[in-house]
Amino acid sequence: MTGLVRSELAKILTTRLWWGLLIGLVLFVGLQAGFTAGFAGVSPGGGQPASPGLDTAAGLRSVYATSAFAGSYIFALVIGVTGMTQEFRYQTATPTFLVTPRRARVVVAKAEAHLVVGIGYGLVAAAVAFLVGGTVVVLRGYDVGLGSSGLWRAVALAVLAVALWTLVGIGVGTLIRNQVAAIVVAVGVTFLVEPLLSFGLGAAGLDDVVRFSPTSASSAMSGASSTAIDLLPWWGGALVLLGYAAVFAAVGVGLTVRRDVT
Amino acid sequence: MQSSAESRQDANVVAGLDIEVAGLTKHFGAVVALDDLSFSVAPGVVTGFLGPNGAGKTTTLRCLLGLVRPTSGEALLGGRNYRDLEQPVQAVGAALEAASFHPGRSARDHLRVLALAGGLPTGRVDEVLRTVGMEEYADRRVGGFSLGMRQRLALAQAVIGDPGVLLLDEPANGLDPAGIVWLRGFLRTLAAEGRTVLISSHQLAEVQQTVDEVVVLANGRLVVAGRLRDLEQAQASVAVRSPERDRLAAVLGAAGADVHVEPEGVDGLVVSGATTDEIGHLAHEHGVELHELSARQADLEHLFLELTGAEAR
Repeated sequence: MTGLVRSELAKILTTRLWWGLLIGLVLFVGLQAGFTAGFAGVSPGGGQPASPGLDTAAGLRSVYATSAFAGSYIFALVIGVTGMTQEFRYQTATPTFLVTPRRARVVVAKAEAHLVVGIGYGLVAAAVAFLVGGTVVVLRGYDVGLGSSGLWRAVALAVLAVALWTLVGIGVGTLIRNQVAAIVVAVGVTFLVEPLLSFGLGAAGLDDVVRFSPTSASSAMSGASSTAIDLLPWWGGALVLLGYAAVFAAVGVGLTVRRDVT
Repeated sequence: MQSSAESRQDANVVAGLDIEVAGLTKHFGAVVALDDLSFSVAPGVVTGFLGPNGAGKTTTLRCLLGLVRPTSGEALLGGRNYRDLEQPVQAVGAALEAASFHPGRSARDHLRVLALAGGLPTGRVDEVLRTVGMEEYADRRVGGFSLGMRQRLALAQAVIGDPGVLLLDEPANGLDPAGIVWLRGFLRTLAAEGRTVLISSHQLAEVQQTVDEVVVLANGRLVVAGRLRDLEQAQASVAVRSPERDRLAAVLGAAGADVHVEPEGVDGLVVSGATTDEIGHLAHEHGVELHELSARQADLEHLFLELTGAEAR
């Protein structure tokens, strides 16, 4: 690891935000995994189809992999956004760019450091999903099912997807330098605008577009089983999410290099 | 670069770089922050970069450091742009404002982050904390620091790479009198070692005893640059009183093109461009009776206001 990446990693780990987010992540993933396991195979009523049961591979994937991702990617997104916006909020961008005047290198090192932290977040999320989800699975009298087909690939990809969302966050942080605005926009778009848009597009029969949204791509990676649309294959989801991360990071590098630091 | 490498071997001589600002212009939208500014700064002395708030001092420093892109013109360090320096932290140290710290990070961690990024040995962190006298505060969060402590940390950050050039924006701001005395000694030592030291201030009095050279700015334009002592001498005057004031004025006026005479009070004159010796000699030669002949100290604060105020209007 280069000094620059270690420096960026030290920036994340020497303030308190990272573990504050980690606490939120543990709680959120725990709830997600607990409820997913608790209601797997149970019909929500009103003639809606039931989710896959805990005796199926799809059901176990949704407890262990999909919950791990769904409960944690917002925290990965936020740490990515703040990783960039804090430099401007507290004007640490000045010493940062004085030490490394080639600003593109800073953004690349930031991306690498956040991928490391994102993988850490993803691994913690997976551990919590196994612990809480697994407990509920066993309590409901099913086999814990750690050997079910495709499970480990789905978990690994869920961890990777969490890490990639930190890059999306860094991209948003370079586009919107105001920290509060950047977080509100990032979270708002991901959790409100994108689902609404997907719903609208889905209703208009444009599932082919919805499949390529960042959230749908991520769901495909973590092996989710959607009743609403046909998701991309796991590798397709991975490529699409990588694409989003790369575009955001490239825009981030371009803007950061050009703008005045005042 | 050869010569700088050689002189760095000598513990007490550090090669500073010349600062060369030529035709520097910066527009922020419709605002002209810098207007065709040119000056140079030599190593080995402390140079004061003076001007009222909003004169363009910070923008000039940011252009020099590659943080702000000039609209036109150049701001070079040793003939090169900042971003083309091979080891920027080891060539140039800067403290631009005392606020560029994350409040939740400790002083030591802040410096460690920079040392890692700059490829410096982390032992430098403790060294510079000791240099600026803040070992006791090293592990406290910056959020609880006084302005004076932040200034010291900013200074520690500036010298962490042991650079040959120091650019400090308002370094005396927030320091107590003892801190200012300490800062003066610190900067003088650094300059004596051969470094280039440029410190900005909006108050001449604050740096008057620290700087050798001054560059004065107003409204993004150069007002005056040169040795502080020369400015003081140019501004010095002699007060004379004589019952034959008009005759004395005529005698002095004829003495040389540099001599300026202005009446003061009933029988007084204020003479600039001539010493007490010269005036006394002329009066004696022409048989003019004198009642007072005294040198007046230069009022630099007044000069500073006049120079920058006239431009600001």
